[in-house]
Amino acid sequence: MFLQLRNITKRFGAVTAVRKVSLDIEEGLFVCFVGPSGCGKTTLLRLIAGLEEPDEGDILLHGRDLTGLPARKRNFGMVFQSYSLFPNMTVAENIAYGLETRHWTRDALSARVREMLALVQLDDQAHKLPHQLSGGQQQRVALARALAPEPRVLLLDEPLSALDAKVREELRGEIRSLQSKVGVTTIMVTHDQDEAMEMADRIVVLNAGVIEQIGTAVELYNAPATRFVAEFIGRMNIVALPGGQGGAFAALRPQGGIDGDRNLIGVRPEHIQWVSGQDAGDAFIGEIERSVFLGNVTRVTVAVEGQRLLVELPGAATDIGPGTRLSLRIPPEAVHRLAERRPPGGED
Amino acid sequence: MVALWSAVRRRSFDSDRLVAVALALIVAVPLVVFVLLPLAAILERSFATPDGFGLDNYARYFSNDTFVGIIWNSLSVSATTTAITIVLAFWFAYALHRSAMRFKQVFRLIALIPLFAPSLVQALGILFLFGRNGLINRTFDLGIDIYGFWGIVISDVFYSFPHAFLILSAALAVADARIYESAEMLGAKGARVFRTVTLPATKYGLMSATFVVFTIVMTDFGNAMVIGGDFNVLATEIYNQVSGQANFEMGAVVGMILLIPAALAVIVEKWVMRRQVAVIGERSQPLSIRPHRRFDLAMLAYAAFVCACILMVVGMVFYASFVTLWPWNMAPSLKHYTFDVQNGIEPLWTSIWVSLMAAGIGMVFVVGGAIVVDRFRNPLTRALYFLSILPAAVPGMVLGLGYILAFNDPANPIYVIYGTIVILAICNVYHYHAQGFLIATTSVKQISGTFDEASKCLGAGLLRSLRKITVPIIMPSIISIGVFFFMRSMVTLSAVIFLVTPKTQLAAVSVLLIDDSGNHNQAAAFSVCIMFIVAMAVVALHFLMRLLGRRGTGLAQ
Repeated sequence: MFLQLRNITKRFGAVTAVRKVSLDIEEGLFVCFVGPSGCGKTTLLRLIAGLEEPDEGDILLHGRDLTGLPARKRNFGMVFQSYSLFPNMTVAENIAYGLETRHWTRDALSARVREMLALVQLDDQAHKLPHQLSGGQQQRVALARALAPEPRVLLLDEPLSALDAKVREELRGEIRSLQSKVGVTTIMVTHDQDEAMEMADRIVVLNAGVIEQIGTAVELYNAPATRFVAEFIGRMNIVALPGGQGGAFAALRPQGGIDGDRNLIGVRPEHIQWVSGQDAGDAFIGEIERSVFLGNVTRVTVAVEGQRLLVELPGAATDIGPGTRLSLRIPPEAVHRLAERRPPGGED
Repeated sequence: MVALWSAVRRRSFDSDRLVAVALALIVAVPLVVFVLLPLAAILERSFATPDGFGLDNYARYFSNDTFVGIIWNSLSVSATTTAITIVLAFWFAYALHRSAMRFKQVFRLIALIPLFAPSLVQALGILFLFGRNGLINRTFDLGIDIYGFWGIVISDVFYSFPHAFLILSAALAVADARIYESAEMLGAKGARVFRTVTLPATKYGLMSATFVVFTIVMTDFGNAMVIGGDFNVLATEIYNQVSGQANFEMGAVVGMILLIPAALAVIVEKWVMRRQVAVIGERSQPLSIRPHRRFDLAMLAYAAFVCACILMVVGMVFYASFVTLWPWNMAPSLKHYTFDVQNGIEPLWTSIWVSLMAAGIGMVFVVGGAIVVDRFRNPLTRALYFLSILPAAVPGMVLGLGYILAFNDPANPIYVIYGTIVILAICNVYHYHAQGFLIATTSVKQISGTFDEASKCLGAGLLRSLRKITVPIIMPSIISIGVFFFMRSMVTLSAVIFLVTPKTQLAAVSVLLIDDSGNHNQAAAFSVCIMFIVAMAVVALHFLMRLLGRRGTGLAQ
């Protein structure tokens, strides 16, 4: 395995930011750490970078322990949220900085700087100072600077969050294609699930210092392991199955009854079907509380036995409004059984 | 056991840790040697008796009515001066910030002139006006006796005015227009708005200015020496005891007494600073000044009057330096600028060298200290912070006496530089260490910590990060700190008066000695030269900043 985290724990005073996290990362992949603010994703990235030291656990690269090795000796490229371009240096000087510290020869250095400038398409900006560039350009310089010394791993800490929406969209694609071109193993921290789904080969969902699930975008969407993942990636109806017999959700109850912990199920809004009449045996009736037309779908909030379901109906369902009673059905294959949460250090 | 083992394992050798500790030591050791040691020496000496230690010296001091009277003198001079200065400076700052009068920039500049002069120049100017042979006394034959209490008070009002003005100016410059508008909407008129809105908002500024001025006056030596006559204060008494009678024990006792008000002032100022923060919120609106003809005219008249007084005092010194022999031969002459006195112009050069040296040492050690304290958090840094701002509570006379007691001893390794200009430069650096340190800290704090992290990730060690990033970014501040130390060193008198030798005579000290010998015109000429050099330094700073500004814009991220 290329990069391994084993039982990493990091505390800041009384707060445990990262709790017994274990993770394997394959070489060449683009991995996203995603989660709400305070989930420990940035701390984890900084631990990998060597900017923080773990209280417990090891970080291994090619099986060699990195713990205790200072950041400057790891050769991991890092891009910060605030770009952190050195304001007293030109674009070219910024890019050359990591090469100078590693004593590249003059010729190799200037060739590499030119190569990097070309890579991020800033050839004509080499002699400008950072503050003369736009936000997007600054972030591209930061990328070039991090990639110049041929880092073993590229770490991106919310690289796009300081940019406006349009530039962000552009840079998503650009960073991804850059990474494929260079082939460097990349870890990006983001709180934006769309960004993670668009860019990452593997997504690591973190919550409260613990990994909730690791997987591809498709896996996380189609098979969320926990309630948190289900709600964080895309939209998900969480239904608490009542005990006893009968009721609207009777057909969804697992065989052999509910074993306390697993009475939660998740259903994606687009998987709930609107059936005409009561032709299917497992259909149930819900009453519309709210209906919002969104263009390609109409999002309807339906009340069923005191619970609320979000249902997405294709196209413009203009003939239904609040008060309308709908006959709905949840196909068994659309039901996700969810754990309330994942215990720290638990295996996948 | 397991935890211990893993802790040991994690302590893999990192040269950056070593560098950080080494840098901390490089700034900490001189602070201990040049601040703590002298203070300890004074403390020790004040308790020293022929047979060990005891309170004998203090008992002797407080049983002597003359000595107790001196404390009273100091307190009454300081209180009176403070009251007058604060009122004058408050209205001056008010005129500048809250009226629509004209010539604000000129007034501001004039108000700061006393900062460019040694503390005895004000007294010199007053004497040329109101002294026995002063212009006004002679012209109108008024028989005013300015020597003593009122002489010191008036001189020190001029001396402390810019300090109070700067603090009050800062307090009045920020104001939330919304509060003033609300007060007006509720029907409050001028005086009421002033009492209920303006004064409370500047309360902390007023307190801070009060304590700063009180301390400045309490510890001022030059003016009291020149114009005090037989009226002794603590600062002159410490000089009399040490230089006049070589009574170091008594000098140390006076020094200890002098430490109290200064230390108190620093503590109160810190307390005030912590409370000051919340005056202006994020959504505050800046106050826009609307013209009021009569108010503006009154303020203009007032500001012009204050500036005229300042210019008059400085102008008298300037004038006197071009007069053949005050007051008997008022024919214009340039002879005082030939410096036909013992040592000639030498002391001026010595002052410049000492000031340049102090600027150099200050830039390295004070900025280094600020970086160490702000950037390398380790157990040493808290102690280092305290040591760095401690000199704010130590009056110059006390520090100077401490240097004698601690270093005038062939057994002490520092004795090698004792009596040279090096000790003078070092003394000036540590005398004004706290102020320089605070300027440096402010600017170091403005640099985002991620620059260091980015540099680390790019493979740079601590020293390279400092050299390539931190230092270049704060270069403008480093230069202003250098100029600050240069200016203070050019005009300071109190600490170095104990340390100069005939060979290392400083200009400010020369002014005192030459004036004392009766050659007032020569003293005036020396003063003018000092003021001129300090003014040049300020101008040089201004142009350097503009030069640096081209590349330095947008530095704060």
